[in-house]
Amino acid sequence: MWNDPAVDGAHDLGGMHGFGPVPIETDEPLFHEPWEGRVWAMVAAVRRGITIDRFRATIEQMPPAEYLTSSYYERWLWAAERLAAEQGLLERSAPPPESPLPSPATPAGSGRFAVGQRVRVRNAVTAGHTRVPRYLRRQVGAVQRVACAWPNPGESAATGRYGEPEVVYTVAFAGADLFGPGADHTVTADLAESDLEEER
Amino acid sequence: MSPDPSPAQRAEVLERRLHDHGHVDPEEISATVAAAESASGNTASPALGARVVARAWADEAFRARLLAEPVATLSEYVPQAIPIAVLENTPAVHHVVVCTLCSCYPSGLLGNPPAWYKSFEYRSRVVREPRAVLAEFGTEVGPGVELRVHDSTAEQRYLVLPLRPPGTDGWDEERLAGLVTRNSMVGTGHPLGPPATAG
Repeated sequence: MWNDPAVDGAHDLGGMHGFGPVPIETDEPLFHEPWEGRVWAMVAAVRRGITIDRFRATIEQMPPAEYLTSSYYERWLWAAERLAAEQGLLERSAPPPESPLPSPATPAGSGRFAVGQRVRVRNAVTAGHTRVPRYLRRQVGAVQRVACAWPNPGESAATGRYGEPEVVYTVAFAGADLFGPGADHTVTADLAESDLEEER
Repeated sequence: MSPDPSPAQRAEVLERRLHDHGHVDPEEISATVAAAESASGNTASPALGARVVARAWADEAFRARLLAEPVATLSEYVPQAIPIAVLENTPAVHHVVVCTLCSCYPSGLLGNPPAWYKSFEYRSRVVREPRAVLAEFGTEVGPGVELRVHDSTAEQRYLVLPLRPPGTDGWDEERLAGLVTRNSMVGTGHPLGPPATAG
């Protein structure tokens, strides 16, 4: 499955044109069909032995036309079926070893970039999982704060295990740089140190 | 040729096969779903978030601690598994949260995200035209107020601390919590009560 590039997949929606009004519900049920809740709960079991990044990366393997015509929990079901098979959960009883989440209190320390420093988002297009949305690639922003330290998502998606924590920065971008002079807002994103380079 | 199985049929097959090998327990699944659907103010839910916001409005020391040590402070209510930060609205800045790539949301505090948060429409548009999207929620943010849209692209979750509505001086936390809507903690809404004067 990892031969299919996930980068620029249909999931990478930020900034795209053509979607209509936001579907705002009045009753807002948590689940719209009984099977949705059961899939939601089952995903905990199929995710236990892997990482959240591998779960996301699996959904991102869904063919674009199918992704865009499936409901949220249909996409979860699609990934759950694949992850259950991939880990052998449909043939044997031994559960895979757990891959525990790192502590949310992992000290972020100080990384390569200082608060206020201008950084450019790397244009690293690879066939694999990334948390850099395409609307931010090659863009220049300013480091706003050190957000946290967390294992690299590309690596954890590929291996299914959490690796060493990496510094993650909150970087602020001017809306006008991203979307033209009409945009007067700011967009921030949380980006790993390896996704950024110094802007000279 | 038989038609493709429905999602409900596929989910049933998956559950049965996982159960055959002891990876899930159907009764436990039912209980987990029921618990999520009936979440109250003591577990991750909008009601719990509202309690936190109301306390931050009423208790200055708590507000300072929430902003400085959000993971530890929120873990006093419910253990936080993922880093979380608090974005404080001011008369000059209004925060909005999105996840353009999937559906990252402060579930550890607010419970599961609503359908609109996970929709293609919200995910694609709010980073590009936040004012237009907020208008669809009936939420106005004055032209003098800077809008900051936070794309949750890493394991870093966000809670918006909305502005305390004017005209609520002397209100206790319980009464204040009644004004805190789920959307005001994501940034697509303002708290209830007298309209916020931001901008």
